[in-house]
Amino acid sequence: MTNIENMIICRCEEVTYGQLLSTANEHKCSARELKLRTRAGMGFCGGRTCRVSIDKMIEHVKPNITPGDIPLKYQPPVRPVTFGTVGEIK
Amino acid sequence: MRDVIVIGAGPAGLAGAISCAANGLLVTVLDEFMKPGGRLLGQLHQEPSGEWWNGIKEAERLHQEANKLAVDIRCGISVYNLEQEGHHWHVHTNTGRLTARFVLVATGAAEYPIPVPGWTLPGVMSIGAAQVMTNVHRVQVGKKGIIIGANILAFAILNELQLAGINIDRIVLPEKTPISGKAAEPEEIMKSLLQAAHLAPSPLLRFGGRFMKHDWIRKLGLTFFPKNGVKVNGTPLQLRKAAVEIIGKDQVEGVRVADTDVNGMIIPGSETIYEADFVCIAGGLYPLAELAAVAGCPFQYVPELGGHVPCHSEIMETPLEGLFVAGNITGIESGKIAMAQGNVAGLSIAKQAGKGTGTIDQQLQQAVQNIRNVRQNAAIQFNPEIDKGRKKMKELWKEHYAKGDEKFHKIG
Ligand SMILES: Cc1cc2nc3c(=O)[nH]c(=O)nc-3n(C[C@H](O)[C@H](O)[C@H](O)COP(=O)(O)OP(=O)(O)OC[C@H]3O[C@@H](n4cnc5c(N)ncnc54)[C@H](O)[C@@H]3O)c2cc1C
Repeated sequence: MTNIENMIICRCEEVTYGQLLSTANEHKCSARELKLRTRAGMGFCGGRTCRVSIDKMIEHVKPNITPGDIPLKYQPPVRPVTFGTVGEIK
Repeated sequence: MRDVIVIGAGPAGLAGAISCAANGLLVTVLDEFMKPGGRLLGQLHQEPSGEWWNGIKEAERLHQEANKLAVDIRCGISVYNLEQEGHHWHVHTNTGRLTARFVLVATGAAEYPIPVPGWTLPGVMSIGAAQVMTNVHRVQVGKKGIIIGANILAFAILNELQLAGINIDRIVLPEKTPISGKAAEPEEIMKSLLQAAHLAPSPLLRFGGRFMKHDWIRKLGLTFFPKNGVKVNGTPLQLRKAAVEIIGKDQVEGVRVADTDVNGMIIPGSETIYEADFVCIAGGLYPLAELAAVAGCPFQYVPELGGHVPCHSEIMETPLEGLFVAGNITGIESGKIAMAQGNVAGLSIAKQAGKGTGTIDQQLQQAVQNIRNVRQNAAIQFNPEIDKGRKKMKELWKEHYAKGDEKFHKIG
């Protein structure tokens, strides 16, 4: 594998450029599907670091995104929190 | 009970809190950083007039003004969710839930990287991280650095690092990939530098601004572009060199760089290694709009504004009742503009809350005009087509959300 294929894009889940590109090419998928197939963007930082890279890769493989939609949906909590914070503390 | 919760204590959030409080509203400001000021805390640059823009001083001034108006500022608190219930907003934080009728989301911008092989090595950081370490934490980031990526943010921060006595060896472009895109094309970079020529850091580029408007002259310029690059404040800017790998065993030791043609394609066999003990990647900025998104606000992709932005009017309302936005969340611009937008948002909230004197409409219109004036004189412009982006959003709002013209003129 070349250097660039081994390059990590999602640092939290350690997903490489090569993995993302081959998955995107094989399935011609949306950003969401790419995320679910590879776990890119599903780590600790919530995709804050790799979101733009993933969007750009998808755009390259499958142009014409709808302008109103955010490709990788945001979900609460948008910051890492403890179970105690989100749940009821008894 | 408080009337307004402001999320983000940057220039937009603080200015918004001040104009709300000045109109008699009770305001709480939340920020996850340990002190107020947002990105202002890292900023230091000279205006075309010769005056210095000292972000730390601006932040202090805003903080004091807010304190005088009894604004409740709480730092070190992260907001992780934002929910509407009836006519109220619940703001969920790591220290509990707060509720208010009005929320101003002023969470600013985030940086995106351009991944380069080896970018996970210790010693590689975003250009903004170098700014924060240098100007906020006063930590020397290294002895000899290389910047990958040539944009206005990189030049502004280059200057700040130089002022702090830190040596930047050179600026090169990233290698061309689907991710780096235009950021790896010498011609595109040249074009954007020329468009920003009035604020160009180098006399050569300023010269270019006048003479290199035509495509063919630009190509010619790039063909003859000196091999060692032009100097930006003494640091070589090498548009015809691309970083193919950051190397090092346990930390950064250097960057492998190749020559490219005018389109950014690598010329085989042209690789050299430049030594460095740190590397800054200057990708770019995008609006940090996660909270507006989880709140359910509609979005629009406007590349001139930096990506997906929450739909908003000229007076900073969103389509959701009681939810307002201001600052870089609405589009990437400089600190002064964020402040002017914050002021508009604050007045807008005051008006909807039925506060303010009979002149509130007039104040609001003046404040909107003020944003335009500040924009025209801005020393730092992140996107040369910002006006186009703002216009797109204005039209979108008019088409989909404006309730006639009555909103602007109802009271007073
Ligand atoms: C790395 C970087 C460098 C920049 N350098 C310059 C420069 O040199 N000159 C210039 O003019 N502009 C610069 N900018 C642009 C800058 O965004 C604007 O100048 C201005 O600071 C924007 O103001 P704001 O109030 O919108 O956001 P900010 O100043 O970014 O303030 C937003 C605040 O919101 C807080 N926040 C965000 N999310 C949450 C949350 N979930 N919970 C709690 N708090 C939250 C943050 O901690 C931050 O303090 C830079 C931006 C970045 C990202």
